[in-house]
Amino acid sequence: MNILAASGIIAMTILVYRLSLYIHRKAESPFTLPILSSTVILIIFLAVFDIPYEQYMIGGEWINQLLGPAVVALAYPLYIHRKVMVKLAVPLFTGTLAGAFIGVVSGVSMAKWTGFGTEILYAISAKSVTTPVAVVITESLGGITSLAAVMVMIAGIGGAVMHKYVFKVFGITSHLGRGMGMGAASHAIGTAEVMKDSQLEGSISTVAMVASAIIVSLITPLIVSWFV
Amino acid sequence: MVKSIKIVLQITILYILYQAGEWLSETFQLALPGSVIGMMLLILLLFTQVIRIEWIGDGAGFMVKYLPFFFIPSTLGIMQYYGIFQGRGFMLVIIVLVSTVLVMAVSGLIGHLSGGREGQP
Repeated sequence: MNILAASGIIAMTILVYRLSLYIHRKAESPFTLPILSSTVILIIFLAVFDIPYEQYMIGGEWINQLLGPAVVALAYPLYIHRKVMVKLAVPLFTGTLAGAFIGVVSGVSMAKWTGFGTEILYAISAKSVTTPVAVVITESLGGITSLAAVMVMIAGIGGAVMHKYVFKVFGITSHLGRGMGMGAASHAIGTAEVMKDSQLEGSISTVAMVASAIIVSLITPLIVSWFV
Repeated sequence: MVKSIKIVLQITILYILYQAGEWLSETFQLALPGSVIGMMLLILLLFTQVIRIEWIGDGAGFMVKYLPFFFIPSTLGIMQYYGIFQGRGFMLVIIVLVSTVLVMAVSGLIGHLSGGREGQP
């Protein structure tokens, strides 16, 4: 029974994803990004049929299990573009460091000024890095981890939706600039997004994402201590 | 058919690396998740030619091509937190979005301005 339910859920998720790809092809806009529209369609579907998240995860867990190897797979484009990566190491590192710093400081300070409590400040501090890292950082500070995971999602999908406007407004046209901006601000969801347009940008984004995860986990406890 | 078997086998290799990463992360109490450690392992193994690019190329290419799909179940987790989009919680959403734009602009501009010819399209 469970296997049947799981297969049904997996098939449905694939179907919704394909539908989202189709919609995005027909009406290309940041608001039809497959990751956004798939999520919205599935949430509506589950709400209409009154299916709780735990029940969806009977099948969803199988897809989730593949997220691990999918992140491992990012090594492949990275290796293909290894020569460029080595050449760009210095700007990659400095840019990501600056972004990581701005990300933690701006998130925590704005939350503080608008009157949120310490637990919320902790949860928002690591929102620019990939979920598992953000959860570990938030946990070690004593914040609410599930809230941290939601913040990471918003930063990821928000960045994927907004990146074309941001790059246009700030005149960021190079592969290096775009890849770094995406990886530093929107972690793996952003990386997945630019990877579709350019493997080089996606690889740069991967490096920025990993560097950012390491840097943020090192600097966050210090920065947060300035505000609490 | 042969190609899809090849892809499944290659994804199995990636999965083993992911599990190895998980194990390392847990054993040494590392701040990085198993998947990211697995990726670094694979890079290392590719550079040292322990793993040849042909052994994982098709499978990894497939995973990377459909990467956003694998995020769907975890992003759906957001549905458990409808409350956050109401009332004061909505401020947090705005803050995260503003902060995300700032990071994207700063890292992006530094990359754009310092990349020289290499980073140009």
